[in-house]
Amino acid sequence: MATLVEKGASGTAVWVDDRLGSSNFVKRSLNKVFPDHWSFMLGEIALYSFIVLLLSGTYLTLFYEGSSREVIYNGSYIPLKGIPMSAAYASTLHISFDVRGGLIMRQIHHWAALLFMASIVVHLMRVFFTGAFRKPRELNWLIGVGLLILGIVEGFAGYSLPDDLLSGTGLRIAYSIALSIPVVGTWAAFLVFGGEYPGGAIIERLYPIHILLVPGIILGLITFHMMLIWFQKHTQFAGPGRTETNVVGSRIYPAYAAKAGGFFFLVFAVMAALGGLAQINPIWLYGPYDPSQVSAGSQPDWYVGFLDGSTRLMPNWELRTLGHTFSPNVLLPTQILPGVLFVLLMLYPFIEAKLTGDKGYHNLLDRPRDRPVRTGLGAMAISFYVILMIAGGNDIIASIFHLSINEITYTLRTALFLVPPLVFVLTKRVCLSLQHADDDLLHHGIESGTIRRLPSGEFIEETVALPSQYGVLLATTPERRELLARSEAEHAAAGAIASKPRGFFRAKGGVVVEEPTDQRQLEGTVD
Amino acid sequence: MSDSIRDRLSSPEDDGPAQPLTTAGFVQTDSRSAHGGAQVAPSTHATPATEGGDQGSHSGGRLRDDPQRAKAAERAVATLFLLSVVGVIGFVVSYIAAPFDFGKNGYQYYTPLLGIFMTLALTGVGAGAVLWAKTLMVDEETVQERHDLASDPADRASAAALLKSGAEASGLPRRSLLRNSLLLGAGSLAILPIPLVFGFAKFQHKERILSDTGWKAGARLLDELGRAVKLGDLEVGGVKSVFPDVPGGRRMADSAALLIRMEPDVLHTVPDRKDWVQDGHIVYSVICTHLGCPVKLYEAQTHHLFCPCHQSTFDAANGAKALFGPAARNLPQLAISVDSDGYFVAQGDFSEPVGPSFWERKPSYSDKVGK
Repeated sequence: MATLVEKGASGTAVWVDDRLGSSNFVKRSLNKVFPDHWSFMLGEIALYSFIVLLLSGTYLTLFYEGSSREVIYNGSYIPLKGIPMSAAYASTLHISFDVRGGLIMRQIHHWAALLFMASIVVHLMRVFFTGAFRKPRELNWLIGVGLLILGIVEGFAGYSLPDDLLSGTGLRIAYSIALSIPVVGTWAAFLVFGGEYPGGAIIERLYPIHILLVPGIILGLITFHMMLIWFQKHTQFAGPGRTETNVVGSRIYPAYAAKAGGFFFLVFAVMAALGGLAQINPIWLYGPYDPSQVSAGSQPDWYVGFLDGSTRLMPNWELRTLGHTFSPNVLLPTQILPGVLFVLLMLYPFIEAKLTGDKGYHNLLDRPRDRPVRTGLGAMAISFYVILMIAGGNDIIASIFHLSINEITYTLRTALFLVPPLVFVLTKRVCLSLQHADDDLLHHGIESGTIRRLPSGEFIEETVALPSQYGVLLATTPERRELLARSEAEHAAAGAIASKPRGFFRAKGGVVVEEPTDQRQLEGTVD
Repeated sequence: MSDSIRDRLSSPEDDGPAQPLTTAGFVQTDSRSAHGGAQVAPSTHATPATEGGDQGSHSGGRLRDDPQRAKAAERAVATLFLLSVVGVIGFVVSYIAAPFDFGKNGYQYYTPLLGIFMTLALTGVGAGAVLWAKTLMVDEETVQERHDLASDPADRASAAALLKSGAEASGLPRRSLLRNSLLLGAGSLAILPIPLVFGFAKFQHKERILSDTGWKAGARLLDELGRAVKLGDLEVGGVKSVFPDVPGGRRMADSAALLIRMEPDVLHTVPDRKDWVQDGHIVYSVICTHLGCPVKLYEAQTHHLFCPCHQSTFDAANGAKALFGPAARNLPQLAISVDSDGYFVAQGDFSEPVGPSFWERKPSYSDKVGK
């Protein structure tokens, strides 16, 4: 049996190689080394979620009808029988109640979309805080931000397709936002919606955008994203033997591939569990879209939440002059704010390089504490975003905690301007303190807990030299490397001290001890 | 393992097979090298000193050398793989046999059942593969050199020279007529798709369209079920959604309105709108002047109308003036009267364009009310 499989495989390989000369490529590819760190799998989750989205989405297209044509519902869901509704909504009900396995596919699709966006955002934070966006990876940063924006667009389009009461409300808001654009607002809104709201064309237009145009672009960009990772090789954290000019990790075949492949199924399994057990977007409870109805507690999907929040926090500034109405109360929080945020995000690698004057290649990742300003800025951005998210749920907070919605809104308005700078300063201080703690460790080594009394009567605590793999991790600058070398020399001169190290560095299961890293390697880690 | 660092430092085991990763022999070249790839450096974790207690990231294959534990690991992996078979069988059986039709006894467990078996099926293969890789596969830490991304200066120069000579061979830099006409011709192609956009455009009088709703003089106020609303149908403190009695009025996105009844003496109206209300009954558009959500949450005590989308609050007793939230303008009012049969009728269209602001909206519409 095994020989049969082997024969078949080698036969196929020979056939392909005769025509494509693929062996050289295969040889090189399978030997490719990938560095390992848990945070590197965040982007993987995004990729796998996208695959699940494509699979489940394709299934849904076979049943969904993207049409606003009015029909009378006559499916299995009794509470809505005989009710006029759009064909889009009726077909979504059909998927949910009359197609076996349709509901779980719908729910997997929705959960996968939420997970896709969440993993993109967390992956982006990892890349930001570790400085993985620096030269030579700025292009991949731009592609990544592009994917984030496209993901939001794609998610909103998909959220709108069922044409239920909640999504219809979202579409009306989108129409009104378009209306607020100065000078061309009415033209733009009528162009997209096919006339005055509801216009009768938006579902028909969103459908091909959602299933063809945007996913096609996303697929292309993801491919390009991966090709660049492959070509430029992945970044790695500092560690024993790791330098700016090498990659230390697993070869892609077989163990890494098995882990990554297995991980795909695990991610898929999580989405299957969510799709099967955790109800999401029960559109049959909302009813068909009716412009005169809305339910309280209308929240968009989480990734649009920050824009909903900014809209809620905005004061009611409106300018009525010279025969026209101009609406900063809509324009600012829904268009100008995201525009500015995403442009800043895209330009960040270039701004940082400009301000620091850093034109070098970077393949070793930063520890966030070693870049206090960047880490502070990142934390500041997160706090700004989180406040907007909270504001997006201000009505829910008010009703759960029995608070006044007005006071929540006033508080969050103030917090939006006060908290982020505070977070910046605090984060920066914490980073600097952590750096000092690192310097201490480098300088003195690890506190042993053993007190020695000197002949003079003085008490001192003995210290142990830092194990070299931690030393390499901490010694990120020439000064620190000097500190480490001096400390190591001192400890060596003092003779090895027999005592148990305490605290963080008494790692679980004992500390792995390495031979001291030789100096040539340390030279290699120069920034 | 609780050995102290001191003990470990002096441990003779460390002088054994463990070796630093980067001695000249291990560092192996770029993947494009003649040797065709990276070579394996014996991982430090393979040393007996670290076995078992090692939590390092490259723990793969750590059981290979222990036949008994390797056998146990193999059985565990196989069990997980077989779990997938159980999951698939469960999935197929419940797909066919579980109660599915809406309302049927137990139908609500159909999707959860599929979910559980699907999860089982996917977890089996996924967890099995990961466990396999982590316990039984050879996965040693390997070093690979990065290749320089930037090209050789010589290559750069020759590429630039090639481009330049090619351009010259085409004659483009020299022939300015050719160059300019090409620029013009190709540039004009960018204009080609623009007319197509007009296929989407609506050449309508935007301001008029956005100002007109379904309401007209004499149109009765119908409730959600299409029944005409009479004076006396509503208690004090009550509200009712109303729609114009015109064809399709119930579904018009701009015509939905709210009839509110309050004590006549709490209702403040501006002098020229005294006869727009009837015996404490007043009608406002429900389309929010902020982003168009229906403003229908009414609090009878305070006479506040509340928008569930962005929490704009309007004072219904005072011309629906915007009190709080991002909405800048009051809700438009519909003048009503009562016809000879006692039914409410509209006196005309709303006092101003309903819904969100737009560029062509004339400032003169606002704001006589609530000041």
